[in-house]
Amino acid sequence: MSAVVSPAIAAGARPPAQAGAPPLVVAHVAKSFDADGRVVPVIGDLSLTLNEGEIVAIVGPSGCGKTTLLNTLCGLIAPDSGRVSWFGREMSGQPAGVGYMLQKDLLLPWRTALRNVMLGLEIRGVSLSEAEERAHVMLDQLGLHGFADHYPTTLSGGMRQRVALARTLVNEPDVLLLDEPFAALDFQTKLLIESDTAKLVRESRRSVLLITHDIEEAVSIADRVIVLSKRPTRVKAIYDIALGTERTDMIAARESAGFVDYVRRIWADLDVTRN
Amino acid sequence: MNGSPLPPRAVADAGIDSAAENAAARRLAAHRRARLCASLLVLASQIALLAAFIAFWEYMTAFDKQAAFMFGSPSAIAGFLLTMASDGSLWRDTYVTGVETLLGFLVGNVIGTLIGLSLWYSRFVSRVIEPFVIALGSIPIIALAPIIIIWFGTGLTSKIAMSTLSVVIVALVTSYKGAVGVDADQINLMRTLGASKFQIFRKLVVPASLTDIFAGFKLTVGFALIGAIVGEFMSSSEGLGHAIFKAGSLYIIPKVFAALVATIALALVLTFIVGKVEKLLMPWRRLG
Ligand SMILES: Nc1ncnc2c1ncn2[C@@H]1O[C@H](COP(=O)(O)OP(=O)(O)OP(=O)(O)O)[C@@H](O)[C@H]1O
Ligand SMILES: [Mg+2]
Repeated sequence: MSAVVSPAIAAGARPPAQAGAPPLVVAHVAKSFDADGRVVPVIGDLSLTLNEGEIVAIVGPSGCGKTTLLNTLCGLIAPDSGRVSWFGREMSGQPAGVGYMLQKDLLLPWRTALRNVMLGLEIRGVSLSEAEERAHVMLDQLGLHGFADHYPTTLSGGMRQRVALARTLVNEPDVLLLDEPFAALDFQTKLLIESDTAKLVRESRRSVLLITHDIEEAVSIADRVIVLSKRPTRVKAIYDIALGTERTDMIAARESAGFVDYVRRIWADLDVTRN
Repeated sequence: MNGSPLPPRAVADAGIDSAAENAAARRLAAHRRARLCASLLVLASQIALLAAFIAFWEYMTAFDKQAAFMFGSPSAIAGFLLTMASDGSLWRDTYVTGVETLLGFLVGNVIGTLIGLSLWYSRFVSRVIEPFVIALGSIPIIALAPIIIIWFGTGLTSKIAMSTLSVVIVALVTSYKGAVGVDADQINLMRTLGASKFQIFRKLVVPASLTDIFAGFKLTVGFALIGAIVGEFMSSSEGLGHAIFKAGSLYIIPKVFAALVATIALALVLTFIVGKVEKLLMPWRRLG
């Protein structure tokens, strides 16, 4: 493998964080697209803050601009106006220490599970043996022991999504941006992977911004749920979720006292007919 | 991860019990046998079809001297193949044409694929040269033959040049198509992992284009052979094209067909090799 290391993104090199600054602050971000010469405003005026060790879920109607928001946050597209600050510094280019995971697993078919997980480490110029070692540990933690040498085509949907999660986590990002990563999974697999993700994230005090269509998923996993309006999207409501249970067990969370009430209220907020 | 790792769990979402596994293994074996039978049947039908065609040909020409002269006959063709094999000209001609084809194939594909892939780097450059590529691609290579012979002489080089020219544009277009067809989300993923443009090229675009590149290889085996043979038609002292041309101008039709059989065999062997290399280079394609 080539050991090309661009100095800016060499292992661990991050812009010096401002002490005490929250991992992510979004202030008055707006974004429009140009569709056949017509300007379509997608993000209206959006502000939010993600604190350290916090899991924040974002729910909103389909097509309201959630993916656009995440793409903006990780520097894939530029906002028209507003500011995005990572760890107190205004964003320029791709933010370091941020892992992005999409609904599609996007595994490379010519790489085995292990080599897929190693991708980010290879890109950052981590030595092959160390990358291999860390990828193995990550796969083991996500219950994929023994599947390291499998090609993606021979894995089930749930396993592929775990490999994608391992590929994100192995880079030890401080913040995870997750775009409906569990949407394509069956219910049982989904609960298991959600619980694993919550465990791995909470024990290392990482921050997560999770986009989802699934209100129950949002309430069970997140500390805070942000409801977005239809296009052009703004923050419509914010719920601080206090379930009083261990927040790494999705089944316990779903059975806890306040759960149904939160789900009902958020559901009512989302209801299109009431917009 | 810094925290205490979770204990490795055994098999993720794969319920396996051994009795069911045995039954599944038996089913799999039966399935394999069925598939083997099916491909044997296809092969047997192909051989039968060929045999029927040869028998019909032989029958139609056996009692009709005129037809035998015009169309040759399988037995006469076989006779010529034997004499050409024993006097060594068959091997010599096949070898010469094979070398020309192979070198033209390699040079054309290497140049075409390198240009095609590197065009991925700059949308601007690729848009600028697109009409020129289309224009070059539409030139019938045979029209270039006289010039090629003036430039490269009547030896091996001019045949390789003809063969290369027949290949290069196709290789360029197929590899470029493969490169620009790479999933935009996949490129975004590489970018969020901090990949430079070269890393995206090296780790994503090139391997993702392999499927299209090999499709181009399979297509251009034939083109390379045509190029070499056309080159030999123009001027040559050896090679299968030379043998075909000479026998044709002397009206020895069965000998034309004999050389043609050798040409087809050459094409089949080269296509077979490309297929093997493809399987070797893309092991993941055999799965799923
Ligand atoms: N590159 C683009 N050019 C033009 N319009 C775009 C572009 N990307 C997205 N859009 C439009 O912006 C809107 C928001 O898209 P986006 O993918 O962000 O929605 P979403 O909230 O993620 O939807 P979903 O819940 O279905 O995933 C859509 O109407 C889409 O058509
Ligand atoms: Mg989306």
